[in-house]
Amino acid sequence: MSDTKDAERFAMIASVWNSRAKGLIAEMDLKIERADQKGVQIRMPFNPDFCLDEDGTILHGGVLTALLDSAFGLANFLAIKDVQTMATLDLRVDYLRPASSRADVIVFADCYRQTRHIAFGSGKIWFDTGDCEEVARGSAAFALTRGKGSLLDKMNTGGPGG
Amino acid sequence: MKLSDIQARCDRVPFFRHLGFSVTEANDSNFVARMPFEQRHIGNPVLDTYHGGIIASFMEAIASLTVLDDQGSPPPKPINLTVDYLRPGLPGTLNTRATVLRKGRRMASVETVAWLEDEGKPVAKGLFHFLLV
Repeated sequence: MSDTKDAERFAMIASVWNSRAKGLIAEMDLKIERADQKGVQIRMPFNPDFCLDEDGTILHGGVLTALLDSAFGLANFLAIKDVQTMATLDLRVDYLRPASSRADVIVFADCYRQTRHIAFGSGKIWFDTGDCEEVARGSAAFALTRGKGSLLDKMNTGGPGG
Repeated sequence: MKLSDIQARCDRVPFFRHLGFSVTEANDSNFVARMPFEQRHIGNPVLDTYHGGIIASFMEAIASLTVLDDQGSPPPKPINLTVDYLRPGLPGTLNTRATVLRKGRRMASVETVAWLEDEGKPVAKGLFHFLLV
């Protein structure tokens, strides 16, 4: 596939993913900043609903886990050309620092190895504060179903439930 | 700790309200909670299944409750987690049981299982480590 076609495909996937109107990913109000075969970078604005305290000083770790899981999904769609569906086999997250900032959260994720049946992803999270200190790191494995007509195509054409 | 005290504590946590669970059993080292399905929990918009991160967050939330000494304890600090996804998270009320495997002075290890209708057919299992100091 040519570079132009790749770029078009990445842009299409990103636009379908960005425009999905329901579920947790819509709630998180994610914005894709970079999306290609080498990985994805996504921005999540601060949201008081995701905090541990009423004052909104610290994010719950679970949100970071959810953010990593979401980013892995998108990274897989970009890196694996004929992926139809995927199921998360397992997810591991290390919480490296307290998530105590109101800055935007940024996640980077990539699919660093794919076989016919399995994909492996890794990712990291930091706040957009300038010092870029990692707040969390995660890795996951996915079971792949390859074939024509991906989940994103179904979202694009308003398939069942979409 | 009384069930009503635990629920009151949960209701003060914005993210726990977002998840929308209620604690139904709370013994010393064994907590059970249920979470009704909501649109905002969806991960796969075509199949309408739970977001894997919501399942992990729900299990982490219940796991964190099991290691509290009393109502006044600060929330434990999560160190890391491992979640195995065993079955599709189909739309429906999700249940979680969290069991303390070991609680020392500094560290606690908590095991969780999440299921839809049959605890014997889990949707996910988890292992969570917390720092208590």
